Amino acid sequence: MIGIEDRFIEKRIFKSRLILIYLFFGILFSAFIYRTYTLQVYSYSSYELASIKNKTRSLLVQPKRGIIYDRNGNILINNVPSHDLIIQPAQIKNISKYLDRLNDIILINKEEREYVLERFENRSIYNRELAVKRGLSDEEIARFEVRSYLFPEAVIDKRYRRESEYPHLFSHVLGFVGGAENENMSDILNKQGKALGETLFTYANGYLIGKTGIENTYDDSLRGVFGEKIFEVDAKGKLLKEIDFIEPKDGIDTFTSLDLDAQKVAFEAMAGRKGAVVVVEIESGAIITYLSSPTFSINQISNGISSANFEKLINDKDKPFFDRVSQGRYSPASTIKPAIGLYGLENKIINWDYTIDDPGFFVLPEDQRIYRGWKKGGHGTINLESALIESSNTFFFSLAYQSEINDLIEHLANFGFGKNICVDCFNPGKGLLPSPQWKMNNLNFGWFKGDSVNLGVGQGYLSATPAQLAFYSAFISNKGSLEKLSLINNNIEKDTLVLPASNITNKDWDRIHKSMIGVIENPKGTAKRLKNLKSYNIAAKSGTVELVSLDSKEDYELVRQDISKRDHGIMIAFAPMPNPKYAISVVIENAESGGSVAGPVAVKVLNSLITE
Amino acid sequence: MKQASFKRFTIFFDQHLFISITLLSVMGLFFLYSASQGNINVVMKQAIFVGFGIFLMFILSQPDPDIYKILSLVFLVTSLLLVLITILFAKEINGAKRWLDLGIFTLQPSELVKIALPIYLASYLFEKPIPIDIRNTFKSLSIIGICFFLIARQPDLGTSLVVSMAGIYILFFAGLSWKFIGSSVLVFLISLPFLWNNFLQPFQQQRILTSLDPSADPFGSGWNITQSKIAIGSGGISGKGFEAGSQSHLDFLPETETDFIFAVIAEEFGFIGVCILLSVYMFILLRCMYLAFNARDRFCRLTIGGLSLVFASTLFINLAMVTGLIPVVGMPLPFISKGGSSLLSFYIAFGIIISMASHKKLMQR
Repeated sequence: MIGIEDRFIEKRIFKSRLILIYLFFGILFSAFIYRTYTLQVYSYSSYELASIKNKTRSLLVQPKRGIIYDRNGNILINNVPSHDLIIQPAQIKNISKYLDRLNDIILINKEEREYVLERFENRSIYNRELAVKRGLSDEEIARFEVRSYLFPEAVIDKRYRRESEYPHLFSHVLGFVGGAENENMSDILNKQGKALGETLFTYANGYLIGKTGIENTYDDSLRGVFGEKIFEVDAKGKLLKEIDFIEPKDGIDTFTSLDLDAQKVAFEAMAGRKGAVVVVEIESGAIITYLSSPTFSINQISNGISSANFEKLINDKDKPFFDRVSQGRYSPASTIKPAIGLYGLENKIINWDYTIDDPGFFVLPEDQRIYRGWKKGGHGTINLESALIESSNTFFFSLAYQSEINDLIEHLANFGFGKNICVDCFNPGKGLLPSPQWKMNNLNFGWFKGDSVNLGVGQGYLSATPAQLAFYSAFISNKGSLEKLSLINNNIEKDTLVLPASNITNKDWDRIHKSMIGVIENPKGTAKRLKNLKSYNIAAKSGTVELVSLDSKEDYELVRQDISKRDHGIMIAFAPMPNPKYAISVVIENAESGGSVAGPVAVKVLNSLITE
Repeated sequence: MKQASFKRFTIFFDQHLFISITLLSVMGLFFLYSASQGNINVVMKQAIFVGFGIFLMFILSQPDPDIYKILSLVFLVTSLLLVLITILFAKEINGAKRWLDLGIFTLQPSELVKIALPIYLASYLFEKPIPIDIRNTFKSLSIIGICFFLIARQPDLGTSLVVSMAGIYILFFAGLSWKFIGSSVLVFLISLPFLWNNFLQPFQQQRILTSLDPSADPFGSGWNITQSKIAIGSGGISGKGFEAGSQSHLDFLPETETDFIFAVIAEEFGFIGVCILLSVYMFILLRCMYLAFNARDRFCRLTIGGLSLVFASTLFINLAMVTGLIPVVGMPLPFISKGGSSLLSFYIAFGIIISMASHKKLMQR
């Protein structure tokens, strides 16, 4: 028991200890208030941001791609709205049954079915949408909409297809679009200052980027700026409702220098033969025609092609996918001769009065090796002009034999050989301008005099793309200077290539032009058959590329049984003379003749540009 | 304190505690409505508990406190037996056996021990001379230890800690010598690493480590704390508005109806709401202190002091947990969190407190 006097002590102890504990809790309370104050007032903005980030996800909204026009305002490629039946694979368990059910309402053909089945699993994993059927008719839309409650996982929505009215005309120059890969997307979003949220990818679907051609080179401006749909999400990431929408900015419409009519004429004239046609506006270096033949449908590639059809395209022996204009490599053959002649004039090896006797072949003094011309018995006594008109090989063999090889190569480089001469072509090739150094490095052989002789007639190691040949043609027509080629005139400061010539006069240029006019107009000209196909003068030079080196015509008869070993035909030309506006190069593979096969194509295209 | 005299009987009542607890309970129903995303079933069930609890509190405040002195041992033994039954027979939920299914509701007997232990200790110690001698100290500590280990076996570390704290408060108020306090604190600190390694489950260790740096593991065990802090922080000064808390309504916040309901309140009502809520709690606690000072005898003093501090401890453990100051231990916000047992145990506690505060011994001076 506790005593009376202890009662007061006890009460005092209790009071002081209770106060002590309460003080302790008071401190805890203050600490807690302070903690809450820090969270709610001091750090409010960062937690508010965290809360917003928690509950929102943004989906990218693709802007409409820019329209591509030709130089006359014709639409070459456009965005065509299409109503597509779209499903959410992640929400569908049995796709096969689902398609059967859909098929009762909207006919889904075998190809569409395969297309869906091929992609279903992947789209399901990444929660991306999948278009079951594109371009639905009004009737199909109506049939689906009244039953849409049966298909909560499917929706009909407007999507834009990239479509050209001329899918086969501009296959290589315009190029095609395709789905963006994740790394493309992260680059694009970085450029546009957007955060790379996980959802941007998770739900990313159908974002197009240019894969080839102008669609690729000008992708940045054609693409536009992505918009964003901002959704509220729950903790599981399920989209609940749209809370904000940032409008996308549509891509910039683009005017190219291409000419629809000339391209059509070139396409028809080529008639599917393998080769290339390139037309350049001499004054600006703008590319007017850019045709690699055969072609393929860019619409088909851009908007979903079945894998079987794609395989067929890829494995086609005519290689329709291959861009011959920028990537093809052809020996310039005799079309190189004006440049070799100019080399002779510049270095005073020859002048216009200089003649040689052409017996039909050239004997290399070093080893008595014989280099033949195309005409048995030769051209007799010839000067530079007749050598160009008649395309004497002997004259240029002899001229190249007398050249200083490094000078000659430097001279040819000024014409654009071995260089990229296009500022905005997709993946432009440089061809090959050989040199002693190059030969040593690549073939482990020294430069022979015979190599120089071959170079004199554009054979041997020298090769150029059709684009380079067109540049070369325009460069000669413009008397030794030309802006680099371009497809879009967009104020980019363009390089101009200039031939640094101290001994070539304007008169020399005129005579070169005159000689090239003679190629068609002169009765002895290699392209004299073109004379009556046009109503104005054309300066031209034909070329025939030997794929197999032979000594006699009889041997060639044997070789030509294999079509793929037949000679290529090349024609470069510019017109109308004397004030040329357009320069052209035409290459037709296995055509056997430049003048009579490539020539008519060149004239038809020039006619379409000049007579009208 | 009010002793309203009627013709035949007297009603024992403390309007300050009664009003403030009722206020808290009603506020809690509103908060729960939002926290449960407008689930009226949850709110109705809770409302029944609240109604019953307030009634129980009223009933328990009527008898003379001496009856609790007499019944305290029975109360403690019964509740410990229930704990034992739970450990032996209850169904395991999330790796723990804490709940007894009584058909109409599931009872968590450890919540009862929280009340029974301090009352029993008060009744055991109130006539012991001061300072409490070694024998009585160890007797008391043994009883506390039994309670602690039984509940810790469930396992329910949070409740077992609160229960032992409840016992220790009584011992402390009854006049535990400072020498003893000093030396045991020292022993505790020394044996801390041993306790850490042998008495804490790996998930409990993880929780403690996580609370020290929640960002180290934001999607694992730190997720709860991180989301809770975001909810509280984004509430700002005035909050997002009733039922407008995105953290709770979009399921980012865990356990919104129970342990983390404070985060829901803080998100929706902001710092102002938090301050109003806390001042109600403060008022209750200060009122308890006043009542403890003016209690009629030592038993009542000790009991009021002990029970009010059980209440305070539960409150602060919950608050500290939700704001990320201590590990997640599973402690309800008194009178607001959903959950029958803890709610009822506090109504019981306050019923007893009111009884002790409103019954005066006329002989006492």
